[in-house]
Amino acid sequence: MSTTATALKRILLGRPMSSAELEHTLLPKVIALPVFASDPLSSNAYATQEILLVLGMAGTLALSKVLPISIAVATLLAIVVTSYRQTVRAYPSGGGAYRVARENLGMYAGLTAAAALLIDYVMTVAVSVTAGADAIVSAAPGLEDKKLELVIGFVLFVTVMNLRGVKESGTLFAIPTYGFVLSIYVMLLTGFVRCLGGCPQAASSQINLKPQVALTFFLLLKAFSAGTTALTGVEAIADGVQAFRYPQSRNAAQTLAVMGALSITMFLGISWLADHTNVVFVEESRQTVVAQIAHTVFGGGFMFYVLQVMTAAILVLAANTAYQDFPRLSSILAQDRFLPRQFRNRGDRLVFSNGVLILATLAIALVILFDAELNHLIQLYLVGVFISFTLSQSGMVLRWRRLRETGWRRKAIVNGFGATVTGVVLCVTIASKFKGGAWIVICAIPIFMFLMHSVYKHYEEVRRELGHPDRLPEDRRPGNQNMVIFVQRPDAAVARAVGYARAVRPATVEAITFDRSQTATWSRLAPEIPLKVLEQGRSRTTAVQQYLRSRREGLTDHDFLTLAVPEVLRSRSTLELLRGWRLHRMKAILRRESGVQVLDLPVVKDDVEEGVDQAHEPARNYVCVLVAGVHNAALQAIEYAETLRPTDLRALHLSLDATESEEVGEEWLAAGVPLPLEIEDSPFRDIGLSLLNYIRSEFDPDGLNRVATVVLPEFIVKKRRHEILHNQTALIVIKRRLLFEKGVVVVSVPFHL
Amino acid sequence: MTGLGNLVRRLARPPEELRDEGLRGWASSIERATPIAQVEPRERSKVAGVIQNLRIDPRPGRNFIEATIIDGSGKELIVRLTGRTTLAGWRLGAGLIVEGTVAEKDGSLMILNPEWDLVSGPEHG
Repeated sequence: MSTTATALKRILLGRPMSSAELEHTLLPKVIALPVFASDPLSSNAYATQEILLVLGMAGTLALSKVLPISIAVATLLAIVVTSYRQTVRAYPSGGGAYRVARENLGMYAGLTAAAALLIDYVMTVAVSVTAGADAIVSAAPGLEDKKLELVIGFVLFVTVMNLRGVKESGTLFAIPTYGFVLSIYVMLLTGFVRCLGGCPQAASSQINLKPQVALTFFLLLKAFSAGTTALTGVEAIADGVQAFRYPQSRNAAQTLAVMGALSITMFLGISWLADHTNVVFVEESRQTVVAQIAHTVFGGGFMFYVLQVMTAAILVLAANTAYQDFPRLSSILAQDRFLPRQFRNRGDRLVFSNGVLILATLAIALVILFDAELNHLIQLYLVGVFISFTLSQSGMVLRWRRLRETGWRRKAIVNGFGATVTGVVLCVTIASKFKGGAWIVICAIPIFMFLMHSVYKHYEEVRRELGHPDRLPEDRRPGNQNMVIFVQRPDAAVARAVGYARAVRPATVEAITFDRSQTATWSRLAPEIPLKVLEQGRSRTTAVQQYLRSRREGLTDHDFLTLAVPEVLRSRSTLELLRGWRLHRMKAILRRESGVQVLDLPVVKDDVEEGVDQAHEPARNYVCVLVAGVHNAALQAIEYAETLRPTDLRALHLSLDATESEEVGEEWLAAGVPLPLEIEDSPFRDIGLSLLNYIRSEFDPDGLNRVATVVLPEFIVKKRRHEILHNQTALIVIKRRLLFEKGVVVVSVPFHL
Repeated sequence: MTGLGNLVRRLARPPEELRDEGLRGWASSIERATPIAQVEPRERSKVAGVIQNLRIDPRPGRNFIEATIIDGSGKELIVRLTGRTTLAGWRLGAGLIVEGTVAEKDGSLMILNPEWDLVSGPEHG
């Protein structure tokens, strides 16, 4: 990247952080509370209102049921919080619904919870950002037309803040969260004091609602389930234990307790005031319930507006909770091989950037699809939350029964009761929202599960095929090297290729060309190497392919057949890649050819000093095999490397994660691979750059006397669509980095799965 | 314009440079530790550094593990343990405090089978 582009990225996202700095990004409780609790706390802005809306259908008199229902919801909240505190202590490494369900109820329950949660995080972003935009639009009606743009703008804002990293976004989000909590408490306190001398009445208390339906038990249940939006986001803390400072599970449990206490008092206080000021709320109401209470209590004025602004702010920021947990959950799923491994990659700021970007994309798509209509979006909400609540608490019950620790009965009763109640709420939610859009979620969950399961199946298959190193070390039968040089025209790169072949001294070496006029020059350049002129036929690629296949016939399975592709690059510009697209296409196709290794020998024109008709044999060929793990693909690449007559042969592991690399190191020692392994840090997670620096400092290749050969083991999957699961982009990035480097030869050794 | 240019350069400062600053601060906080750049060959020294890379050579007859440690002083020190069959907890980014006689080998500093202690590195809290 150019300096200016780098600077721009730094300004937007901050400086890149080294992997080791991860611990600095852990959150103290004061910051963790707003980061994880903005979602559950913000739901107080509309939970009471949702209850009143349902009760209102049974007439004004029914509204008095708001307090008992709120008490029931608050009790449920207390149960869920208590039960999640148990979960967090039992699962110190992060006990989201997925992990609890998977461990105690099996893989499919785990996947159900995971799918439900992922969908719900997307919903959280879409719903809360839309609600925030609604608050702004109702204050400034002129913005009505631009609402969709406003929502997308908010999503992008929160996305960028999150790409900057947890801690910094946390500091920013602390202000509105604490501001919201504080202004609600001021409102509640003022309200209580004023109620001592008889409560002031809300303007809407004059409205008389005619009963449209009877006040049945089902209606009360429906009102109750509407009020349970107050519970959304409780699971966020349990999912995010790993973001807390040490001792993680204790801090998370304490934060949960504080969040629960704040949420319950705020919720009950608002409902109590709504009841005593006789607020009436219908869908046509222009002011929210909280706004009406504030207006009644403060009689308009400064505090009224402060509260409104804080409400709007916390609603937008509630999306942040999802931004914390979606990427973390998807990285856990990727670790368990249910999602592509790219979700484990940490970006410049140690955030799981891919997860953040996917979440943003999905949320924006959803908002556009529903045209930023809150009433429609909210129908899809809650189902996922309650599926995960129910699964996670049922899982905990089974866990207590299995472990039978002291006091397990009490714990099991708490979780069991929670599971039953959340299960009932789930059924009521589905029943009342199914037609409105909940069916979309119900259908999407199995689809997500199916996709995750097929990803898992694929990775398992690969793992089996890579298997245990079974060709180690005694029964190895290293094969012969056979080389084919692909000659397009007589140039410096071809001369280098001939020099390289002389250094390698393969068992057999041949050159192929499509140009008959080459023969004369060739016999001067490399008289010892036979040149075969191929008929072009239908396409050059097919002709080369057929030639290679016929060559393979005479070889054993252990022999290697290398196609060396020399290429002169006119400049060090990325445009060169476009210029040589035909050659690239051919290489890409031949890379999938079984038993063939493609060796890239690019030469940048400016680097060439020698003549094109003499081949110089390099005195040293340093060979370095890039190793990601100790498996058959890597071992095959090592066997290949040994046939190149290396001056120095070593295996190199570039580390993105110290723990993972330690495992690779231990496996290397245990497997007894008779080769030194170097483990190099790639502190800023740019493998291409780290490899380049390593080659420069260790080998200093000049292309003439010293050549460095990088051997890349590569998986070739049977189905093209599986390629996305193997992070082959890393290989592309590496090749791209090494392309213009003097004296570096790159060879792919494909391992066919 | 130069002000802006400076700002751009400062923002684009290589992250490695920033990291070295942190390492120096950490190493200087370890008691009696000598910065690697000031270590004299053939003298007994105590050095604190962070493991930058590891080499494992399981070939019979060699059989060692080796770490290069850095402390931000600009030089590096190779620490080698012979006869090992495990990594003994050595991992990238860990802090290693070693004490022993430093030798000079092919222009780089090396300490063979020293007394050693693993500590959490400067970047781990």
